[in-house]
Amino acid sequence: MGNLLKDKVALVTGSGRGIGRGIALLLAEQGAKVVVNDLGGGVDGTGDSATPADEVVNQIRANGGEAVANYDSVSEMEGGENIIKTALDNFGKLDIVVAVAGILRDRMLFNMTEEEWDAVIAVHLKGTFTVCKAASILFRQQRSGRIITFSSTSGLFGNSGQANYGAAKDGIAGFTRAVARDLGRYGVTVNSISPGANSRMTQTVPQSARDIRAASGMQASASAVTPLELNREPEDVAPMVAWLASDEAKDVNGHVFHCQGGQISLMSNPTEERTLRKNGRWTVAEIDAMFSGTLGMDMVNPAPAQSPK
Amino acid sequence: MSNYLDGKVAIVTGAGRGIGAGVAKQLASEGAKVIVNDLGATLDGDGTSNTPAEQVVEEIKSSGGEALPNFTDISTMEGGESIVQSALDHYGQLDIVVTVAGILRDRMIFNMTEQEWDDVIRVHLKGTFTVCKYASILYRQQRSGRIITFASESGLIGNTGQGNYAAAKSGIAGFTKVAAKDLGRYGVTANSICPRANTRMTQSVPDSSRQLRADRPEDRETAPPVDQMEPEDIAPFVAYLASDQAADINGQTFLVYGGVITKLSLPRRIRTIFKQGRWDVEELRNLAPQHLTQNLVNPSPPQQPK
Repeated sequence: MGNLLKDKVALVTGSGRGIGRGIALLLAEQGAKVVVNDLGGGVDGTGDSATPADEVVNQIRANGGEAVANYDSVSEMEGGENIIKTALDNFGKLDIVVAVAGILRDRMLFNMTEEEWDAVIAVHLKGTFTVCKAASILFRQQRSGRIITFSSTSGLFGNSGQANYGAAKDGIAGFTRAVARDLGRYGVTVNSISPGANSRMTQTVPQSARDIRAASGMQASASAVTPLELNREPEDVAPMVAWLASDEAKDVNGHVFHCQGGQISLMSNPTEERTLRKNGRWTVAEIDAMFSGTLGMDMVNPAPAQSPK
Repeated sequence: MSNYLDGKVAIVTGAGRGIGAGVAKQLASEGAKVIVNDLGATLDGDGTSNTPAEQVVEEIKSSGGEALPNFTDISTMEGGESIVQSALDHYGQLDIVVTVAGILRDRMIFNMTEQEWDDVIRVHLKGTFTVCKYASILYRQQRSGRIITFASESGLIGNTGQGNYAAAKSGIAGFTKVAAKDLGRYGVTANSICPRANTRMTQSVPDSSRQLRADRPEDRETAPPVDQMEPEDIAPFVAYLASDQAADINGQTFLVYGGVITKLSLPRRIRTIFKQGRWDVEELRNLAPQHLTQNLVNPSPPQQPK
């Protein structure tokens, strides 16, 4: 067993399977006591079960670590508070929050229902807020803490059929940058991971997503499948999370990292690429005259107009 | 009057004041018929009033343009559907949607209430989804259309006391990038604006923000002074994006203020470490600070307790 997180207490939401499970296992292996939170539902968020969280707890204990299960829904304030309370009640403190919980309800925008929108925003975006808000009260008092949230390339770059998921995941990135500023002065760091992994969420593609992509002829990911994409396991994401959760990463605050297999990248935020300026207010005619030769150079339409079939 | 938008019909939400009002007036001056939507609430989102939307409509009409006031709450599905329907009922078509509507409920994360979170997410983020979802049904059928949404540097960079606003605004940015990919093949474009301007939202800071920043002088934004950046400065570029001339501008984000229009990049992988297989924690402890995170600046370094 490693000792990077000796004497730390962590909570990981959505850690009954996939990426979250890999994180819970590694944090425990590095010495942390872990609250394993998972509602135990389907990828689409329906149903619930104690089994996923219980199995991870059992595995941690079998490996000589300490863990306790929690089955609360992160989408409610009480749920978020209760997960923090579980850490305090069982382990006496809390140092690390990793918010992984999430679901998919893929649908093209023109077909997306209110329920599909609300459910995805609730679990990912509000589900990150509830846990972080509750933890931040404690972290501010104790003047230390680690928060790691989960964004996605679907939010950073956009992926067709995922207006709800892209909104939630880019929203989490923005939230992370803002909260890093709220909490940094108290010795807390807040960072986000954009993962690439072959997990239940990406492999057992929900029927809705399967139908969308079959109907529109689009692949599940924008790029062609590379060897890295074939071999990226959910557990590969965990090492960077463990490092960010440690005391050694105390100066890393407000950043987004992309983790996929053996590749870890620091992501930039959107930055100035090209600027057009005049003194005074533009007219539309002036913009029309100037745009293509300046801002519009090399500009690619990610989804050019197609003739009807 | 110029005529880049002759024969077009536009909806502008949050068009009763500030940036939205500027956009509505500009679109009308370019020849569009405009549905001027505004609930007429306070900056915190309380109350309602018909006056802001009606005043903008009056100004448009007295300049020779065509407009209709609309007071629907666009943060519900029914509201989004009804405003799109109202464009069809009154003007027979819809070509342009600009979602500007938004409120502020600034609060440090550890003090932020559920209401403060929910309201900001609802008005900005859901209020963008509702109108765009219903517009997109029509746009797909007619194989044309424009969506322009309003994101913010608050989400791109992070601003103290705005966890809710940053989440909502970055959420809008993510939503827009996906809308661009869902709709582009139908001849529709969706783009986001990050504005800077001197408006009610930035100047008449709500009590919550005023208190927050009074307690923390070191947190005041270091952005350039906004007093020379007028809300009307945003509108010409919005009108351009709404026009037929901008048919291939899709999925982009622009920072717009004063006389400046900046194309923003997507996020980029700027530093990468790689190995075959899975990283060992011990390997990362060495390599991460040496390469991945070397010299990164903490935007809010730890401070001693007062």
